[in-house]
Amino acid sequence: MTEHAVAAQVGALRERGRALAKRPRKEIIDALARVLESWRNPSSPWRIELESQLPDATGFRAPTVREGLERALAHWTGDALEALVARELEPSASTRYTGFEVTALLLAGSIPMPGLLAMLGPLALGSALLVRPASRDPVTARLVTQSIAEIDPELGRCIGEVHFPHDDEDAMEAFLESDCTVAYGSDPTIARIARRLPPSRRLVAHPHRLSLAVLGESATRGSALETAAAGIALDTALWDQQGCLSPLAVFVLSADAEAPDRVADALATALTAAEQHWPRGSVTPAAASVIAQERDTAMLRESASGRVRVLTPAGGAFTVVREQDCQLRAAPLHRFLRVHPAPDADALERGIAPYARHLAGVAHAGLAPDAIQLLVRTGASRLCAPGILQCPPLDWHHDGMPVLTPMARITDIEPTRG
Amino acid sequence: MTGDPRRRLLDEAVLTWMREDPWCDDEARFDALAHELFAFQFEHCAPYRGFCRNRGVDPSSIASWHEIPCVPTGAFKELTLTSFPPAETRHVFRTSGTSTTSRGSLHLDTLALYEASLLPTFRFHLLPDLPAAGRVRIEVLAPPPEEASDSSLSHMFGVAIAKLGSEASRYAVLRGSLDTEALRVRLERDVEAEEPILLCGTAFGFVHFLEYLEEHGDFLRLPAGTHLMETGGFKGRSRELPREELYAELEARLGVPAECVVNQYGMTELGSQFYDSVLRQPQRPRRKLGPPWVRARIVDPESGRPLAPGEIGSIAIFDLANTGSVCAIQTADLGRAIEDGFEVLGREPEAEARGCSIAADVLLAGVGS
Repeated sequence: MTEHAVAAQVGALRERGRALAKRPRKEIIDALARVLESWRNPSSPWRIELESQLPDATGFRAPTVREGLERALAHWTGDALEALVARELEPSASTRYTGFEVTALLLAGSIPMPGLLAMLGPLALGSALLVRPASRDPVTARLVTQSIAEIDPELGRCIGEVHFPHDDEDAMEAFLESDCTVAYGSDPTIARIARRLPPSRRLVAHPHRLSLAVLGESATRGSALETAAAGIALDTALWDQQGCLSPLAVFVLSADAEAPDRVADALATALTAAEQHWPRGSVTPAAASVIAQERDTAMLRESASGRVRVLTPAGGAFTVVREQDCQLRAAPLHRFLRVHPAPDADALERGIAPYARHLAGVAHAGLAPDAIQLLVRTGASRLCAPGILQCPPLDWHHDGMPVLTPMARITDIEPTRG
Repeated sequence: MTGDPRRRLLDEAVLTWMREDPWCDDEARFDALAHELFAFQFEHCAPYRGFCRNRGVDPSSIASWHEIPCVPTGAFKELTLTSFPPAETRHVFRTSGTSTTSRGSLHLDTLALYEASLLPTFRFHLLPDLPAAGRVRIEVLAPPPEEASDSSLSHMFGVAIAKLGSEASRYAVLRGSLDTEALRVRLERDVEAEEPILLCGTAFGFVHFLEYLEEHGDFLRLPAGTHLMETGGFKGRSRELPREELYAELEARLGVPAECVVNQYGMTELGSQFYDSVLRQPQRPRRKLGPPWVRARIVDPESGRPLAPGEIGSIAIFDLANTGSVCAIQTADLGRAIEDGFEVLGREPEAEARGCSIAADVLLAGVGS
């Protein structure tokens, strides 16, 4: 798509955005609530098509896509959307929330959930939407647009989709002419966009993020451990650790030196079971190379020290490395978990510190309140139980921000004299 | 030379091969030496022995050198992998460590094999027309060995200049910086003298020098017959340049055509190097070739299974020059086989595809900083 085509889309959407801004918000939210409800229905044609097309486009296996969608959409109800709007955009005598004429949305990665929600937000505010889908997921944005257009054709016409290579600077320039840009992507991508936007334009950035799991002593034994390990395995298996809510490492807060071994063993068992239900998707040669480097290096460390352990099945569908310390190491993704011992809270704090700036979620179990407070201090925007990391509620403060208001123009109306 | 008699015999056998002229590419000889070397390293390198045993491999279980387990290059960042007592370490080469938190290191008890391997290969691929006792001016865009004693690359250039370089050979990187002005003056003298030279250095060093020439509007036409060797990538550097663009700029600014530019593929963890075939076999596809005492295979990264020609996989290298450490190395680079050699495709960061999740060296470079 040329820069001129992108600019034409922005121009056309401006007009539609102006018209959309005049529609009653309730009418728009009702339509979007119906859209969400339709996506929650497993027999909806768009969801069926997404489930059918996403595996080829992204490499995820079909059962993983189905499970990921089912679990994530379970709580994304129309009522939840209405409640979110009511809470964040409640009209009052003194404050008005309005959308920009056009909001540009730059998607990244291969997980459909962020894209689905990110597309609804600007529309809920009454803004037209220009979306550039991720190169790895050319499916979701198109299907979401179709679903909106079928339920509310006028709303559907307020969405434009553009495609251009990530290094097409001219097309990007035209794309960023929108009044507000919502960008998902790597830190360098976000930095590149931020540099190009004049200060007067709004940027809502969702850069690199990762998640962790932390288990306390009581979750390192018996059925509590089995439950926690099954949950972490599910969080890891869904979307093959490709999302910002995928745990990359598990910290075991326990003075018991055997506890990390128990956790590693339980995770290996749980990941083996997860593989039966939701097999790991395809892995590119580059990713496979990183996995092999890290796995084999850990095996050598295992031979050298005896304190490191590597648990991986034939075929390498997952890797669990029981580390000997909290040292930060590479995260190859694709179901590669490191288990770090944290004998006390200080060790846990030191272990998590290098991740803190990028921390999205922490799944935890068996922690005392002071340990939970420690996690709050890391800056993570979500603490939850293992097994639901990949299913954030609709009103999750993604990256510590409200869902809708960062994309809104907010006007405070003060009383005038007389 | 090492004190272990078995190791001495191995070293001597490999050194004998390295000294032969012309080279003899003998698969049976390679296989026999690789077997012996694997057995020796299995016995003397404890972490490697455990690694092999975990895979159910020992010297008696392998039918061919293809089955020798490869150690990942990343392991050299974590462990000291030697097949000699640590007290006998005489030299340590370290990786540049430009984009990760730790540096890999290769511990050596002798430099004899390293030097015996590098010199004939360097000469074979970069100076194919140099007479037997001939010398050439070598200009190096890298620091001299005395300023970078742990750099295997600087050591290589030091040996090359000592054995093949004329008295006018120079290093352009001194006290940590590239002296662009002095380099330009020397190259202008080469142009006037119409004497071809060998210009060697890191890819990033050449980019730096090209930027200098561009800023000053300079174009040099180095004499016909000048060869240029570049090596290394741009990881962790401020500017990256695709190789095709680099070669086009080298031709435009220095007058060295792409067919005279040779990329060297080597790494600290290896005793031998690979070079582009362009000067030796200009009519055939550009590909990496090494001497007969080193073999490269393209393998499935996760399983180690060999891949068909053209398929993309990890580059695994078996280097008989690595008698003091481990001879079988799995690199972090991707490549594909081309005829009797291979092409290096790099590491493909995948940042665009990955989206907002984070992984691998991004985690270490970004989060860890």
